Amino acid sequence: MSLNMHLDGHLPSTHQLSPHWQYGEFPVLARQFTHYSSRDLWEADTARLPKALAKIRRAARGFAEQHIAPLASAADLAEHLPVGECLPDVQRLLIEAGKAGWLSYFMPAPLGSMPWQAVTQPPIWQCALVVEEFSRACGGLMLLLSAHHLGCMPLLLSGSPGAITRHLAPVYRSCLNGDPHLVAFAITEPGAGSDAEEGHGAEVYRPGVVATPAPGGYLLNGRKCFISGGDLAKSATVFAALQGEGMDSWTCFYVDADSPGYSIARTEMKMGMRASGAAELEFNNVFVPNGRLIGGLRKGWALNRATLNASRIPVAAMGVGLARAATELAVDFARRYKLGGKELIHYQDVQLHLATMVAETRAIRSLIWQEAKHAWKPRQLNASLCKFHATDRAQHVVEMALDLLADHGSLHEQRIEKIFRDVRLTRIFEGTNQINRLSLIEDWQEQLLPLDSHSPIVGV
Amino acid sequence: MERPEHPLRPQRLETLTQEAVELGILSLSGSEDGFGIWDHTDSAEAMLFNIGTLRHLGQANPGVAFSWHRSSLAHGLAKLLGFTLNQERFLATTLSITGHYGLGRYSLARWLKGSAIPPEEQDVLGDWLNRQQHASPIVAAEDWQTLLWPQWSDGEVVWCLSDRAGESVSRCEAQHGFDELSSYLVQAHEHGDIRSLDASQTRSIYQRMLKADCIGLMAIAVGALQRGQTLATEYAAIRKQGGKRIDHHPAVQFMLGEVEMTLQHAEAALGMTTRPLDELDLGVLLSMRARLHESLCQAANHVVQVHGGIGYMRDCGAEKIVRDLNMLKLQGGGTREIPLFLAAWVEK
Repeated sequence: MSLNMHLDGHLPSTHQLSPHWQYGEFPVLARQFTHYSSRDLWEADTARLPKALAKIRRAARGFAEQHIAPLASAADLAEHLPVGECLPDVQRLLIEAGKAGWLSYFMPAPLGSMPWQAVTQPPIWQCALVVEEFSRACGGLMLLLSAHHLGCMPLLLSGSPGAITRHLAPVYRSCLNGDPHLVAFAITEPGAGSDAEEGHGAEVYRPGVVATPAPGGYLLNGRKCFISGGDLAKSATVFAALQGEGMDSWTCFYVDADSPGYSIARTEMKMGMRASGAAELEFNNVFVPNGRLIGGLRKGWALNRATLNASRIPVAAMGVGLARAATELAVDFARRYKLGGKELIHYQDVQLHLATMVAETRAIRSLIWQEAKHAWKPRQLNASLCKFHATDRAQHVVEMALDLLADHGSLHEQRIEKIFRDVRLTRIFEGTNQINRLSLIEDWQEQLLPLDSHSPIVGV
Repeated sequence: MERPEHPLRPQRLETLTQEAVELGILSLSGSEDGFGIWDHTDSAEAMLFNIGTLRHLGQANPGVAFSWHRSSLAHGLAKLLGFTLNQERFLATTLSITGHYGLGRYSLARWLKGSAIPPEEQDVLGDWLNRQQHASPIVAAEDWQTLLWPQWSDGEVVWCLSDRAGESVSRCEAQHGFDELSSYLVQAHEHGDIRSLDASQTRSIYQRMLKADCIGLMAIAVGALQRGQTLATEYAAIRKQGGKRIDHHPAVQFMLGEVEMTLQHAEAALGMTTRPLDELDLGVLLSMRARLHESLCQAANHVVQVHGGIGYMRDCGAEKIVRDLNMLKLQGGGTREIPLFLAAWVEK
């Protein structure tokens, strides 16, 4: 930067009245408390992470920029593909992602790809870092790569060494060997989105996918809808009620997609995140052997909720990645687009606008990192809070980016309109943000009750 | 609107437009005095017709409504200025009333008021309307041929009819909304066919065009949200969660209530605009536009949210309403710079 360069309304950093350079001339002791580095914000944040996570963050960014971002627009604009089809470039991306370990990082070697240096940090934190980087590059491709981890999560959280070694490890191995094996997470049923995510609703809901005992296993019948990645998944963790029982009998079954009777009825045409399919799965007398029952009979409801607790912080990170992308693009636009002979960023109102966007984006990232760093056993309250707040604010940031670009904002080439379509989904899936707010209260009940005047103030 | 995931094809839009011309809803610039959209603005009844028609059209299809609104303004303006337009295809001509980015900051307001403009602001205004130097985004029917727009020429605002064939026009990828239309970046090579009027006349016409555009965009947006409200209330009445209709849950009731409040406010605001156009203050209209579009977009998001997952799917129709409302907010320079305009508008 030239010494005399400055934005309108601000002094050059070398000016006598600019304090930053003078901090460097303070006495040694004073410098320890004043002379900060004004390096790139992303670099500064990365440097604050534990070393292993910083390395993962850099690697995720590199992979996203090299392999995901170049495909983002084409994958978004592509015609709606027939069920089971995948763009050749996207198929290659899946292979590369698998080989690079991005489909197997919830377990360390030899089972998975998590670096051993990272095992002392909560995997949710690692996942949140990766998801932010991938979302920044493309919401749809991020979902394609991330929904797989959601599908694998019940296998992991079942705590069963058998489930991990017999089912999860082969999935991870296949991915690492360049034969991507995606796993889908199937809870949502036609006519019941929120009932699968909220206890009060589940209490009266009549399950749509039912498991009937058969010799050596169970027969599954029914439909699941809006299953992210369900069209390309080779297997799925499917939640079904036992014949004649309610949601409290929900049980998790690990089902191969090539099982007889398993079919994909349709994939949805979505507003955004179009690179990832939302599939309707149909089960017609699908036989699942007893060995593929995950976590125990009637343990599915709790396993589902534990999975959502684990996934909601990464979903919040999607919001950060998308808000960050919108902010970076808005800053870029303001730095290059000229009005009245000068770049927009020289105008004070534009500076105010961008400053708010940066603050909003960094505020939700701070919230997520604060929660993720302690998320060994992610609490429902904290995870839900992150999810609804970060995604709501993220959409606001993206709207600010659209507003800044005005008529140019609607153009696909500026990329922000796609980010809007992508971020919109984060407020709906993994429980709508209304359900997540109620989920916070549900989990807080033990502190909120009893409701009498002698109860102490509840801490917030 | 029956199958929102399948956008209206250009040929179908042309046919519909031709039928609307035959019905008299739209008037070509060469026709005798008619009763089409924006043909009359001098009485409350005429304004009621303009607003009501655009609102109904917005309810059915905001993209179609937008193209008819802009082309109606173009034909009306062409008639006033004596430009000759294609009389076979109504959508062959479209209009862009603002410059290449935003709303001209505070320089446009000062110029419209006839205030003295310092040189640096004159530079902004001149650059804003410099069609040769900057590419301006427009959204129009696919086969548009001519564009009517203001330009800066030798220190004055002039009206120019640019021929698509003679300009640098690049077609953009599918834009955010208005699936029935296409986006283009247009940069002028020449000044084109120009009409230069005296300054006060130009200012007066410019104000009228801005006011009509502002009202049109709001009316279409209100219609779009009315459609959204219908979708949301009908869905909420049949969808169950926790064993009861979702419209019996306060979480959903609040969102439906917000949609209703937004529509009530919008109705009241639009009601204030059913007066002769010349009696309406541009500053008041822009103030309304800034607030209204913000709240309409938010309410449309509630419509999607009430639907849950299905609201995100194209065959539901709710997500298109969000995209189209975003489009309406971003047209005409967007809404972000309106406070700057207003500060100059009320400046003593």
